[in-house]
Amino acid sequence: MPSLLLQSALPALAQPTIVTVAVGYFLVVAAIAVWATRRMRSASDFFVAGAGVGLFTLAIAKTAATLSGFAFIGGPGLVYTIGIGAVMIILPGALTNSLGAWVLAKKMRLLGEVRGLMTVPDAIGARYRSRAAQGLSAVAILIAVVGYMATNLLALGLVIDAVFSTGLGAGIWMGAAIILAYSVAGGILAGLYTDVFQGSVMAAASLVVFGFAMKSGGGLGHISHTIMAADATYLGPWGTIGPMAAISYFFVFSMGSLGQPHVIHKFYMLRDPRQLKWYPVLMTIALAAMVLLYISVGLAVKALVVQGALPPLTSADHATPTFLLHYAPSMVAGLVFSGVIAAIMATVNSFISVGAAALTHDLPKAFGRPVTNELFVGRLTTVGLTVAAAAVAQVSGTLVAFLGIFGWGLFASTIVPALAIGLNWDGATRAGAIASIATGLVVTLLGETLRYFTVYSLPVGVTVSGLSLVASLLVFFAVSLLTRANAAQEIDSDIRVVMDA
Amino acid sequence: MKRILLACVVASCVLAGAGYAGVIVSTHSPVWAPWCLAMGANGAVMSLMALGASRRGTLAPALRWTFLGVFVLCAVSFGAALAMPANEGAAAPLLFGFPERTAILLYGVGVVPMFILPFAYALTFDASTLSADDLARVRAAHHALSPDERV
Repeated sequence: MPSLLLQSALPALAQPTIVTVAVGYFLVVAAIAVWATRRMRSASDFFVAGAGVGLFTLAIAKTAATLSGFAFIGGPGLVYTIGIGAVMIILPGALTNSLGAWVLAKKMRLLGEVRGLMTVPDAIGARYRSRAAQGLSAVAILIAVVGYMATNLLALGLVIDAVFSTGLGAGIWMGAAIILAYSVAGGILAGLYTDVFQGSVMAAASLVVFGFAMKSGGGLGHISHTIMAADATYLGPWGTIGPMAAISYFFVFSMGSLGQPHVIHKFYMLRDPRQLKWYPVLMTIALAAMVLLYISVGLAVKALVVQGALPPLTSADHATPTFLLHYAPSMVAGLVFSGVIAAIMATVNSFISVGAAALTHDLPKAFGRPVTNELFVGRLTTVGLTVAAAAVAQVSGTLVAFLGIFGWGLFASTIVPALAIGLNWDGATRAGAIASIATGLVVTLLGETLRYFTVYSLPVGVTVSGLSLVASLLVFFAVSLLTRANAAQEIDSDIRVVMDA
Repeated sequence: MKRILLACVVASCVLAGAGYAGVIVSTHSPVWAPWCLAMGANGAVMSLMALGASRRGTLAPALRWTFLGVFVLCAVSFGAALAMPANEGAAAPLLFGFPERTAILLYGVGVVPMFILPFAYALTFDASTLSADDLARVRAAHHALSPDERV
């Protein structure tokens, strides 16, 4: 897996217009947080927004949480580096919104209806009537969440440093403090409505920059001819990474989309399950708008470097900042960097919610000791998690890179079989679910550790995440088939009603 | 129908697994490994989508053809990208702005399905996913359970 977020310093962006736009952005976020805080009353409000969210809000917030700053910084950098192979990460977006709708959306939302569930491990625990499966999935989520949060906070610190010249350490803690302020006070409710604002900023920024990118390169055809004259494989269907690695991205980012807890737990929040009708349409439009920048900037910068109009980049993460500083008005640059900050904050807020729920709700429940005041304890764990992630981000850059790499794969391999397939197959068993979660955990952690310490890497650029996902799926099927004698008895009658709905 | 779809999901995962196994156990990347992974990944996504859309053991005919059509489209796109000879040199012809193999893959897998699947979901939602009556039935069934059964 590539590192999904930036980890090296950005070019200085402290221009008056950019700073003004960014400050304006923070003021809007603060206003939304204050408004959301006044509406919050309970743990349900804190973790699932009281199941009272409309479809438009849900779709924009989910897209913002899915994409993170990767769509604006890491992604274009990856396209600049490896070519079309990097597009295989976002290509599944044409399928995944509909996939999620058919496989999970209705069932998750109805589970929330009949059981009042709040978390993804809740759903796994309810499906298999198993505290062990709930606890194990919560552990997997917690490990990935801390890594993801640390990576995102480091990225946020780098952007804040570039815009406000604060220094990296101060940038990390400033970013963490802002997110904490609205997360602790307003929980996921504040996060959702800031996500809507942030998602709108991201979509607008992406559309505008797409136009500038095409204009700078003389149109897509001219960009392609310029690049192909210098590097024939770059614009081939697999880029410079070859078919196996590129298709592995497709596999992990398509099937893996069903296992991202910070995204799928938002299904619980929808006010009316019948609003799901237009969910894939809205999500697909939002996603398509937001990924235009991802492809266009990477390709345009590559063409401009080939032409000699830009010097070769010293770091792939510089693709977007370099392009904006040279080829877009500073107002647009300010909008994009606000969009980057927005995207990262949206993702971190979602991770905070998922991580705090795992600590406050899922693990105590798995151990048979549910917390009595979940709202209060949720706020405490939110602070603890954020401070821990910020400290990790500041103390060790290499550790952050390591932790951030396997987040998506760990979520995918531990959650997809047990939840996405389990809710659609009554032959899935408790033993199968536990075995698949354990397999995902072990293969991902072991594989990524061996790769990180250069002991062993999979050949031809194949990702550990792909291998761990397929391994956990096969173990899930094999163990379920071997232990299926009592599968039907393991399903509670209300869960059965939801699965058959 | 559900058993067939489940068998397709399992077979697709086995196929993807075979692709990974192929590159791990051999010293070079076998030609068939990316084919296995491409068809396995495509098959897993589409058959799981169909499994999720099936209700009471059946799949609405409109959806059956939709899923089959998109599966074939993606399979052909991946297949063309893998099978066609590389032709991405300076004078290579472009298709909608990209070299031919790349355009077939990007538009076939990444663009065309965007105009099919979300609308298929919306247009079949009332009849095949969740009607107002279905929702009322779930709520009624839930309320009919004893407090112990509701957990």
